[in-house]
Amino acid sequence: MPERTDSLTERMSAAAGLASLVGEARATWLSRAERGLADRADEDLPDGVDGASRTPRWRAFEDAFPTFYQFTNRPRG
Amino acid sequence: MSREHRTSEDGYVQWRGMRGIATVPGYVIMQPTTLCNLDCAYCYLPHRDANRKMPVAVAQAVARTVNAWAADARRFSVVWHAGEPLAAGRDHLSALMAPFHGVEHHVQTNATLIDDAWCEFFATRDVHVGVSIDGDAARTALRVDRGGRPAYQKIRKGIDALRRHGIPFAALCVVSAPQPGLGTELYAFFRELGCHALGVNVEEQEGVNVRSNTFDDAAVRGFWAELTAAWRADPVIELREIEWALWYAANALDGTADDLLPARIDPIPTIGMDGSVVLLSPELAGFRDGHYGDFASGNVLSTPLDVLLDRVADRPPGWIAEYLRGVEACRDTCAYFGFCGGAHAANRYFERGRFDTTETDHCRNSKIRLIEGVLDYARAH
Repeated sequence: MPERTDSLTERMSAAAGLASLVGEARATWLSRAERGLADRADEDLPDGVDGASRTPRWRAFEDAFPTFYQFTNRPRG
Repeated sequence: MSREHRTSEDGYVQWRGMRGIATVPGYVIMQPTTLCNLDCAYCYLPHRDANRKMPVAVAQAVARTVNAWAADARRFSVVWHAGEPLAAGRDHLSALMAPFHGVEHHVQTNATLIDDAWCEFFATRDVHVGVSIDGDAARTALRVDRGGRPAYQKIRKGIDALRRHGIPFAALCVVSAPQPGLGTELYAFFRELGCHALGVNVEEQEGVNVRSNTFDDAAVRGFWAELTAAWRADPVIELREIEWALWYAANALDGTADDLLPARIDPIPTIGMDGSVVLLSPELAGFRDGHYGDFASGNVLSTPLDVLLDRVADRPPGWIAEYLRGVEACRDTCAYFGFCGGAHAANRYFERGRFDTTETDHCRNSKIRLIEGVLDYARAH
């Protein structure tokens, strides 16, 4: 698959429709936050671990799938 | 130039995360019993017909380390899994949970044993519940009891109990044959089921499951694209894979994708019923290989868990050192590394027989085709 050598980010930037899809996802995450379902994953992080801001986002970790390893794991040490 | 455009000499992306093994995990997995009352066709677990229960002394040994970690963390999870945890029985599971303090308990269950008493158990201990179900009765047909009878009705009965008690639950769905129409069907099913979150696992060839997981590229991409469409139309369920892909895309578009992977690899300690500790991939627990041995890094009954993890991080032994070389090979050769973090140890071993290989069928089905399916959908809409 020659495209492996291309930057995935570049292909994402060029993907028509992705920005609007991401925008809708952000709106969903914001709506969840407003309904009290905010992602608590950021709160799990020691300060500065991954630079994540405390913004509404996909709820990644303990609430639902603690064993979803490698996508979302947050080792502390 | 954004960080993800930093390249090595051969032009591949170089990501910062996943370098070496962390000494403090994000969670631990506990095997309260080897037993499962079901005999699902795709299950990876060995010894699941034997009821070997974890002694309380093992839980006490793990808790001595975990309680200290939990005291320093905002949240720390203990996941009861790797066998049917409810098959251990309420009294024994309660005794195993008792030594832990300041942690969140999780169970990943087939739901067939859940009744009012279990619901009260979950509620009083604030246990997070994940259930395993693959869709309607036909889609869940590979989940059978030890007599080969379909487990679907018992699973639904358990889920009905959860709903009756108002206990939120996540669902894990195994997809054994990605095909057109399935994504739409599954999303509608789980919407009706009432789960707050859904994880979708394309069947993996690992453990004692030797069924092929080589699937048609277009079928798998189409499946993920269809799930993307279903979620976009009605984003009520937290849809794990699709939302993670979109979160990655959001960060990629913002130039912050290199911040997503953890700096170091989570050791993911899985504590077997006998106290043995297998790191990185729970699926390796209970297996023995002529070359690699039993994959265990020690036993909590003889070595404190934190000491054991310090040793492994300092001097990764045998197969773990080989796995770390494999992670670096993924970093050097795969454009999806920033999204994936490297092929999982168990998938490398059970598909390829080694840990220093790179792309697996699991990578293709659940990482590469996931991203590409989301992109396919985005380009078409």
